[in-house]
Amino acid sequence: MTLNKNLRLKIAQMVKASGEGHIPSSYSIVDLIDHLYGHVLRYDAKNPRWADRDYFILSKGHGCGGLYAVLHKYGFLSDQDITDYSTPRGILGGHPDMTIVPGAEASTGSLGHGFPTAVGTALGLRIQSRDNRTFALLGDGECHEGTIWESANVAANLRLGNLCAIVDWNGSAAQLMPHDDMPAKWRAFGWEVHEIDGHSAEQMQATFSQLTFARDALPKAVIARTVKGKGVSFTEGHGKWHHRIPTDEEMSALTKELAA
Amino acid sequence: MKKLREEFADTMLEVGPGDPRLVVMVGDISHGILQPYARACPGRYYNIGICEPTIVNMAAGLNKTGLIPVVHTIAPFITERAYEQIKLDFGYQMLSLNLVSVGGAFDYAQLGCSHHCYTDVSLISHLKRGVVVLPGSPVEFNKLFKETYTNGLINYFRLPEKPHGVEFARDDIRFGSGIRVREGRDVTLAVIGTQLANALAAADQLAARGVSAEVLYFHTIKPFDADLLRASVAKTRRFVTIEELSAHDGLYNLCLRATLGVNGVSAAQIAIEDFVHGYGNYEELCARIGMSPEGICQTALQLTRKAA
Repeated sequence: MTLNKNLRLKIAQMVKASGEGHIPSSYSIVDLIDHLYGHVLRYDAKNPRWADRDYFILSKGHGCGGLYAVLHKYGFLSDQDITDYSTPRGILGGHPDMTIVPGAEASTGSLGHGFPTAVGTALGLRIQSRDNRTFALLGDGECHEGTIWESANVAANLRLGNLCAIVDWNGSAAQLMPHDDMPAKWRAFGWEVHEIDGHSAEQMQATFSQLTFARDALPKAVIARTVKGKGVSFTEGHGKWHHRIPTDEEMSALTKELAA
Repeated sequence: MKKLREEFADTMLEVGPGDPRLVVMVGDISHGILQPYARACPGRYYNIGICEPTIVNMAAGLNKTGLIPVVHTIAPFITERAYEQIKLDFGYQMLSLNLVSVGGAFDYAQLGCSHHCYTDVSLISHLKRGVVVLPGSPVEFNKLFKETYTNGLINYFRLPEKPHGVEFARDDIRFGSGIRVREGRDVTLAVIGTQLANALAAADQLAARGVSAEVLYFHTIKPFDADLLRASVAKTRRFVTIEELSAHDGLYNLCLRATLGVNGVSAAQIAIEDFVHGYGNYEELCARIGMSPEGICQTALQLTRKAA
């Protein structure tokens, strides 16, 4: 297991500097997003609207700190963009705005929108016989939304083989609804399901490298077991850290842990 | 006169083969009449099912890939139920959509209030990039759809079940322009959709009582032809709106704004105040809320008497 400590530190620095952000939700998914951009997705950071790119839609938009840190790492965003996070002079905010953020494919925030949009993107690409693939990253809490299951149903029945949903199964949903067998739910909707540890580089590599995206195959759901707030001892779990801004002392402690 | 829904299907069949970007998605209605389009445009017709918010979400995805989506189903479900999808996925994201509804107002009179929709026009109008077209005859839909569907905006077409029956010349239909259907000098009747028929009948009744009514018909409500309305009211000083819309935001509001600064104007509105409970056919529900030749005539007469 290899944690992305630098990305986590950058996320915390952005949140601390601006006084806005969801650290645990970002830490939950930053390893997944980094793996996708590092090993799976086809893109051109200097031409984010490249016609042959894969589409990555962050459906749980409040985890955008993870997306921004990764887009910065791979050259979509500048140092200044990160510095200006959540300020009037910047382009990055508490949820991504596709009209101004290079690499953001959807303006998410209201949960239950990004994934069904990804279903439409996958269908649109197939209609045009294009080889681009669509990936959507969902929260398990987001899976409370009815549109997730409406569109999961549609995607399986349309056999959108060019679509992959990644579910950040960090246990948020089960706090309210303990009946939470996420793999069984996606299987019941007709999806090809894979289960991984969403913080394990080895498991991500093993799973994503063997996915096939044949036209008219079943859509794929990668259920990623994750830990909310993963990487820093006191941000892990469910509680006060969901939307908390670190104090100076907490920031020092966080930095020290990530530097270790 | 051909039904608007049939014209919708025919227009898709006319436009689709020549524009490979056009994709039609429906919420399990009009499936049969769209089969000629589906056969002519393989892979570009989808009966998605009973999941209107998802259909609108998906349309945003289609548009992201360069396609031009047309989404069609019943007005309350595709506008009120899916409004957040329209607002965020198309408004916030600056994407383009063509929504074509049936069942606006109380066209589904006998199915009850669950199938009524009074706020659709207002909801879409709230979006800066929203366009609202209310075709009341087949030629209006055909011409206005073809003029607008590639404009990159959020286009809403509300198709009434019953055409108004007036045969307009194709050249007289211009996007964003109202039509002076009848000239008059004493009162302006401003009307949308099927109610044009009642307004013209009311104008006849008013003429028999010595009141000259001017009838203005608006097939496009956003953008609104304020100049036509203002010029008419500057002459008549009175107007009545007849609109199958919520009384709280619709044609009356537009007309009031258009006549700001015109002195001595009196106005009245015939619209939908609240759920139109009960059942009956469309005409019976219209009559219940004063949308009849007699109701319009009485409202206009009250205005003219007040002014006198």
